[in-house]
Amino acid sequence: MLLEILLEQCWPSMGSWERPSQLLQMCLLERYQRAASIMLRLPTVSRALSGVAHIKGSVAVTINVRTGATAAPATASNQMEVFVDGKPVMVEPGTTVLQACEKVGVQIPRFCYHERLSVAGNCRMCLVEIEKSPKPVAACAMPVMKGWNILTDSEKTRKAREGVMEFLLANHPLDCPICDQGGECDLQDQSMQFGSDRSRFSENKRAVEDKNIGPLIKTIMTRCIQCTRCVRFASEIAGVEDLGTTGRGNDLQIGTYVEKMFMSELSGNVIDICPVGALTSKPYAFTSRPWETRKTESIDVLDAVGSNIVVSTRGGEVMRILPRLHEDINEEWISDKTRFAYDGLKRQRLTQPMVKDASGQLVTTSWEDVLTRVAGVLQGAQGTNVAAIVGGMVDAEALIALKDLLNHFNTDNLCTEEIFPMAGAGSDLRSNYLLNSRIAGIEEADLLLLVGTNPRYEAPLFNARIRKSWLHNELRVALLGRKVDLTYTYDHLGESTKVLQDISAGTHPFSKVLAQAKRPVVVLGSAALQRDDGAAIHAAVSTIAQNARVSSGVGESWKVLNVLHRVASQVAALDLGYKPGVEAIKKNPPKVLFLLGADAGCITRQDLPIDSFIIYQGHHGDVGAVLADVILPGAAYTEKCGTYVNTEGRAQQTRLAVTAPGLAREDWKIIRALSELAGVTLPYDTIEEVRDRLAEVSPNLVRYDDVEEANYFQQANQLAKAVNQTVLTEPLVPPQLSVRDFYMTDPISRASQTMAKCVKAVTEGAHVIEEPAIC
Amino acid sequence: MEHTENASTYTRWQHDKIQRRILIKITSEGKGTDMASSAAARTATGAGKVVKPIFSRDFDEAKRRVRDLYRAWYREVPNTVTTFQLDITARQGREKVREMFDKNKHVTDPRVIDMLVIKGKMELQETINVWKQKTHIMRYFHETEVPRSADFLSRFYVGHDP
Amino acid sequence: MLNSVRLQNQSWLKMAEYLQVFRRALGQLRGHGGVKGLMVQLFRANDVKTGALIGVDKYGNKYFEDTRYFFGRHRWVIYTTQMNGKDTMWNVDGSMVPAEWHRWLHCMTDDPPTTHPPVPKKFLAEVHQFNVSGSSQAYVPYSTTSKKIHEWVPPRVQ
Repeated sequence: MLLEILLEQCWPSMGSWERPSQLLQMCLLERYQRAASIMLRLPTVSRALSGVAHIKGSVAVTINVRTGATAAPATASNQMEVFVDGKPVMVEPGTTVLQACEKVGVQIPRFCYHERLSVAGNCRMCLVEIEKSPKPVAACAMPVMKGWNILTDSEKTRKAREGVMEFLLANHPLDCPICDQGGECDLQDQSMQFGSDRSRFSENKRAVEDKNIGPLIKTIMTRCIQCTRCVRFASEIAGVEDLGTTGRGNDLQIGTYVEKMFMSELSGNVIDICPVGALTSKPYAFTSRPWETRKTESIDVLDAVGSNIVVSTRGGEVMRILPRLHEDINEEWISDKTRFAYDGLKRQRLTQPMVKDASGQLVTTSWEDVLTRVAGVLQGAQGTNVAAIVGGMVDAEALIALKDLLNHFNTDNLCTEEIFPMAGAGSDLRSNYLLNSRIAGIEEADLLLLVGTNPRYEAPLFNARIRKSWLHNELRVALLGRKVDLTYTYDHLGESTKVLQDISAGTHPFSKVLAQAKRPVVVLGSAALQRDDGAAIHAAVSTIAQNARVSSGVGESWKVLNVLHRVASQVAALDLGYKPGVEAIKKNPPKVLFLLGADAGCITRQDLPIDSFIIYQGHHGDVGAVLADVILPGAAYTEKCGTYVNTEGRAQQTRLAVTAPGLAREDWKIIRALSELAGVTLPYDTIEEVRDRLAEVSPNLVRYDDVEEANYFQQANQLAKAVNQTVLTEPLVPPQLSVRDFYMTDPISRASQTMAKCVKAVTEGAHVIEEPAIC
Repeated sequence: MEHTENASTYTRWQHDKIQRRILIKITSEGKGTDMASSAAARTATGAGKVVKPIFSRDFDEAKRRVRDLYRAWYREVPNTVTTFQLDITARQGREKVREMFDKNKHVTDPRVIDMLVIKGKMELQETINVWKQKTHIMRYFHETEVPRSADFLSRFYVGHDP
Repeated sequence: MLNSVRLQNQSWLKMAEYLQVFRRALGQLRGHGGVKGLMVQLFRANDVKTGALIGVDKYGNKYFEDTRYFFGRHRWVIYTTQMNGKDTMWNVDGSMVPAEWHRWLHCMTDDPPTTHPPVPKKFLAEVHQFNVSGSSQAYVPYSTTSKKIHEWVPPRVQ
């Protein structure tokens, strides 16, 4: 009954289809879809995507992918005037009809057109009438001519839309009530807005077999309208040739040719760009509807990029994570780990304070008890007997609170798990440890040297940006380190550290290339800094960057040296004066060790005295919690307002989407409460006061979404010359080499079952994952 | 006896309704809550415009209205206790009434006093006509309200919210 | 004349009725073993009925019948004071009646198990179990909804 009502609400027009000329229908479909299948494989072949334009033969189509600052500055002289429903608008030559309409705020309905993908022009939904033109034109592919009057709401236009909609619906199932796209479906919305109010269709509908393309994406291929957005996304943005089309006309199908997994770290984005419910999220299937969920705009902390996300919650439970637009960071994409690791937030959680009883077993207790114990232990140990290690997902508020607390006990033994060489300028100059060129800045570069990093898995969206620049701006990429698949071609300079020294000395052939570059960028992966010779590598890269900067003759504002971090908290920790690396603690083992979300396993019981007391504060029972004598349950990134600084040095904040489970509390509050019991009350009670304190220490931490300029490369390089460390001969091999290493890197993704399924699927094949056989 | 008292009070209310309508008109001219301060400021500076009174022309008249209201409440309390089946004595009820009146004894501006009297009358009317329920009456006594702690630590122990 | 005879007759009848009541009261006093027994019975069962002892079950609960009382009040049980190690002097419970006597007590049959022994069934409890409702051992149905948050369980130490 409910189904019927829903069905009626979804498809008021679906009463009964009358029968148009079957022949005509077939002909039209055939024509539209032939056009689609021709263009499918072109973009990657012709690299610059100009191939797309040739489909239409006579028409020259602009590439609609945003090119950021590379777009030629508009000059008023060559602009021309066109009219949209009689309203004049000045546009540049080559602007499509659709863009011209967008400029005056008129939305043209579309399915296949996507502003970040090449133009396909095969859905025909964007047909509009041009005055004095005999036929309607496809607005997404047709460039405007001077003086055209585009009629976006004329009788002919509406008729065309209605007809196209009728064809699209002819083979689309009427399963909206059980479709996961329901409520956010372009086809549903547009059929309500532009479709016919009655049906003329009485034939059988086409049915297509579903494909298993991995544990993340669910396919219901009968719903597919062949817009080929997913195919274009895979080949253009993700850079994997996994998706394509087979068949022609009515038999056209999207798929992977042979049954295999859609193996990309950005694969989840096809769920968002699919205008219908053909590609939906497998973990999210049948769990909630978009109108039931509460959306919280937040940021992601599973890597150092800081992608902007929307956390959808219902009833205190995270239902899914979607990307949020941020042109300078993630555009509108997010990586699969960001999107699908959220089920890790519901497993292995620390929900109650715990202490070890007489037998050494961790038992749950109350906050009063646990805080009193910890405070007593802290009071008993002063100076070098106290130390702290912070992990990769700690917010700046907790970092400053912990630092203030431990400074009260006369200790400055506060370390991060990630190592950053402190020789030379170390973390004193911010430009030493930031991605100074910024993520969007890659689009302006013409030469990129990657050192000891695999950006595809360390920062997937940074890699997507490199690929975009490589595709559209002829960016030349060189890699020094283990040869990996980066989804684009690059000059592999070898993985030996000797090459690095040669380039810095100017004796390597690549030095010439570097010297000729107009806008060079050098990116050093933080994985390379974890080695024993990190300082020497940093110094060498610093020299390379400085030389390239001098030789290229770019202005002071252009930055060459970049460090690509892998964990979200590192930049904030360095800004706040944490010591990178746990070397100091290993050398001088403390009696009391405070682990704040430290789960990388940098330190073990063997490194510490037998009677040492370990406090673990965090949100997941992972490596750190096993070591601990006392566990203080903290909040994960969806459960607190926290400041995180991404690898560019951009401060952003997560927002509270759900309350922390059980007795878990926000991290800074735990430390603040602890300080009161230890008799050294920290002077802040609210998050605003903590942020005032943050501003005192480092004002950039509270200037949200603003990147503080850091530009002391020359000085840093001079200081780096003082580093007398020899570069080891071990090859530069980043730890994440294949997609298998990508999925489980932190406590949240390690607790996630979806991520575990991904690892299983990439190692043993997608078919081994057993899914419930529903729908 | 009680009843006739009541009835007479009630007719008085009906009578006052007209006055109240006038009053609403006055208040709707945008002098809602900050009337006290602005009126006080105007009298302090003594500048220009004569303040339009609500009912009372001077303090004594306002006081008389307060006394009237107090008397009406005083007589109504035993009635209320029976009607609402309150678990308090009339004495306790009257003490509460006195407390509520005493809460505003520092007010000297006749306009503010008038306003408070009007509010008190509204409350009284709602009580007499049993437009309220038992719980609304007992809210004056704050029995079930747990005082929120102010210091960080006890708030931390209690829950997530500050 | 006739009237006065009837009146006399009536008053005589009334006298007989009072006598009957008095005799029953005496019987109840004697049947419960004096004043103390009567008081104990009154406080335990809120009643001082006496009747024919039909039988005693294996726990010591005594079953009585007196058909002079109205149907529904004509059969009753006086619970034992000690049952399965639990003191049931004051703390009695309806579930103390075993299944075989339950039939008779609730007038489902007129044949007490003393004369008609019950057919043994495997579902009949050998030993009586107390009703645990309201105690910590009460049955609580498990939740059929899945947990929203799965907490970490610390590893067991040997």
